[in-house]
Amino acid sequence: MIENKKNILIFLTAVLFSVILIFLALFIGSTPIEPADILDYIFNNSENISTSTAIIIGEIRLPRIILAFIVGAGLAVAGAVFQAIIRNPMVDPYIIGISAGAGTGVMLALFLGIEIVVFNLNSLPVFAFLGAVLTVFIVYQLAKVGNKLPVLTFLLAGVAVSFILNSMMSFLMVLRTENLQQLVYWLMGSLAGSAWKDVRMILPYFLAALAVILFYLKDLNILLLGEESAVHLGLNVEKTKVILLGAASLLTASVVAVSGSIGFIGLVVPHMARIIIGPDHRRLIPLAALIGASFLLLADTAARTIMAPMELPVGIITAFAGGPYFIYLLRNKSKDIW
Amino acid sequence: MLQTDKIKFSYNQEEILKGIDLQIKSGSFIGIIGPNASGKSTLLKNMSKTLQVDSGTVYLNHKLLNDYSSLELARKMAVVPQNTEVSFNFNVYDIIMMGRHPYQKRWSGISKNDKKIVNEVMEVTDTFKLRSKLIKELSGGERQRVIIARALAQKPNILLLDEPTSSLDINYQAEIYDLLNYLNQKWDLTIITVSHDLNLTAQYCEQLILLNEGEIFASGSAEEVLTEENIREVYKAEVLIKSNPLSDKPFITLIPEVNKFKKKKEKKEFKIHIIAGGGTAKKFIYKLDNLGYRLSIGVLNIGDADWQVARELGVEIVEAPPFIDISDNEIKRNKELIEKSDLIILSDLPFGHGNIANLEVLLDYANKPKILFSNLNIEKRDYIKGKAEKIWNKLLEEDDNIVLLNDKSQLISEIKKLEN
Repeated sequence: MIENKKNILIFLTAVLFSVILIFLALFIGSTPIEPADILDYIFNNSENISTSTAIIIGEIRLPRIILAFIVGAGLAVAGAVFQAIIRNPMVDPYIIGISAGAGTGVMLALFLGIEIVVFNLNSLPVFAFLGAVLTVFIVYQLAKVGNKLPVLTFLLAGVAVSFILNSMMSFLMVLRTENLQQLVYWLMGSLAGSAWKDVRMILPYFLAALAVILFYLKDLNILLLGEESAVHLGLNVEKTKVILLGAASLLTASVVAVSGSIGFIGLVVPHMARIIIGPDHRRLIPLAALIGASFLLLADTAARTIMAPMELPVGIITAFAGGPYFIYLLRNKSKDIW
Repeated sequence: MLQTDKIKFSYNQEEILKGIDLQIKSGSFIGIIGPNASGKSTLLKNMSKTLQVDSGTVYLNHKLLNDYSSLELARKMAVVPQNTEVSFNFNVYDIIMMGRHPYQKRWSGISKNDKKIVNEVMEVTDTFKLRSKLIKELSGGERQRVIIARALAQKPNILLLDEPTSSLDINYQAEIYDLLNYLNQKWDLTIITVSHDLNLTAQYCEQLILLNEGEIFASGSAEEVLTEENIREVYKAEVLIKSNPLSDKPFITLIPEVNKFKKKKEKKEFKIHIIAGGGTAKKFIYKLDNLGYRLSIGVLNIGDADWQVARELGVEIVEAPPFIDISDNEIKRNKELIEKSDLIILSDLPFGHGNIANLEVLLDYANKPKILFSNLNIEKRDYIKGKAEKIWNKLLEEDDNIVLLNDKSQLISEIKKLEN
């Protein structure tokens, strides 16, 4: 069918775009690197390049690029899932306070000095997850009016809870004055100083959450029909919602554990993907992941080059792009935003 | 077969359903009707497991509804909920294909059988031409057909619908019910629909269940359920129930303002006898009845349009079988009524052999006030070669108590003049 060909083309374009971005991100930076050196690094096991160049590529830029990819994809997918469950396109892990919840969890763990590593599984994302899940629960309960979940109260409840959580984080930060700048950057959302250990830390959680979501793609479509219709189509709505909310929270938590609160990717990217490929989650989620990854990689590359050698927290850039978009969505509420 | 046994349901401490017993046979077409807040939607939701009954049981094919898994149930029963507004932009084909969800394994794609069934339901619901349109581009009627198609794709035995036509224009309403009727007849689908439209359900459903305040008030055929008494009791409204000439099913008309009049209306002492026929009096009978005049009418053929109206209003009638001459006995009874009356009204009816006696009788009452409609010339109404005209002219010559009425709209004011 023509439809299928079109979709394949869309995905090929998205993949190609991502590969080009990765390549660009490898040689752009405060220390310029020749494209030839990168090819050399990739194909010749870095025989002909200096050790410092090899370290910049292999130990600094590459993990950061991969992390940007994971974080971007994770936030976009989590956003798309939250939007489907709440059935509102204006929901995003950042806006409804889940990022802040995860952040508070991490902060609390750091403050209390708890960091357990069991079989390569780090406890930080677990704390982030607990914070995120608790926040989802609180916001959900606050926003519920009877059996309904009005969008406006949901957004307001999220914003209110975010405020409280952010002030808690600030308070914890003031108490723990060492590494202040690093924490501030983390709080604003940053990938600065990423290393392979960060990738290793979040990858298991990220993959587990992603696997669950991929398992439930069809159910996400059914959920969009409305809970009543979904029940009549044989979906166990409550169970599905809990599982998906859990998975999306874990996804958010794992990325927040390394990158802090990077806002608006979860809002803007699913929306863009929906415009390109439609609301079917079997296509939407993969495309949102690809676009989210590319988008964050682009933003992060900008963050570390615009004012080089100084780095901007990438959260500033995403918020700068996403904020106006959010306003646009609010203003266009009556139109087709799905 | 769907069966409910003393089901009760409360919402916020208010008992919505007060013990409903129902037995719905396979292949029936049931309409659940009742005023707002009578519990009809709640009953439907209890029957579809959308809401859990507080007490009582629901059986589907002799098995407890609660023993069905949601997937199992979705293969037996499909529901078209009241609000079918969709806030996202799937295309029609994808929406209908979602109806196959209860049959699809998680990773299996769309099977040949799925495609076959979806094509089938698109054909029967006439949605094939819409298949690549986005759901938001559709009109209300089209969208409803798509949602019904999705329900049919579940291949259910029972289809439940909650107000399927409440937001639709009249042409779409008939379209939806025609479709339901077809599915009931040809696909042997059991259909249960909740509706507040008494006439639509009366036309299409073979059995109606009238709910009132959480209880079954009446159930049975449309003729049995839709009676003036039932509707007065349940809806607190005065209606006329006629038979729809096309389908022979009851047809309900709300009597405008009668509800206000009935309470205030005091019967006057002034008695009017009407001589009419062929529907020449039906308009003013309502008015006179509303104004409280005591009315009698005769001689009318049974089944005549005026006879129907008079009967509905409870006016005293001298009636005769149609197509034969009025008999002496009927003339005698007509005279009795005329003697009791204060005024005679003769409408602009045509005269033939059968009813000429209705005109002749006036010659005997020269001293009674009369209003004769003269807007139509008597020659044109005379179907017995001048005989009626002769009597008419004699009447005008001999009788001083005649008011000739050229303008029908002046009838009430003329009566008032005579009344005083």
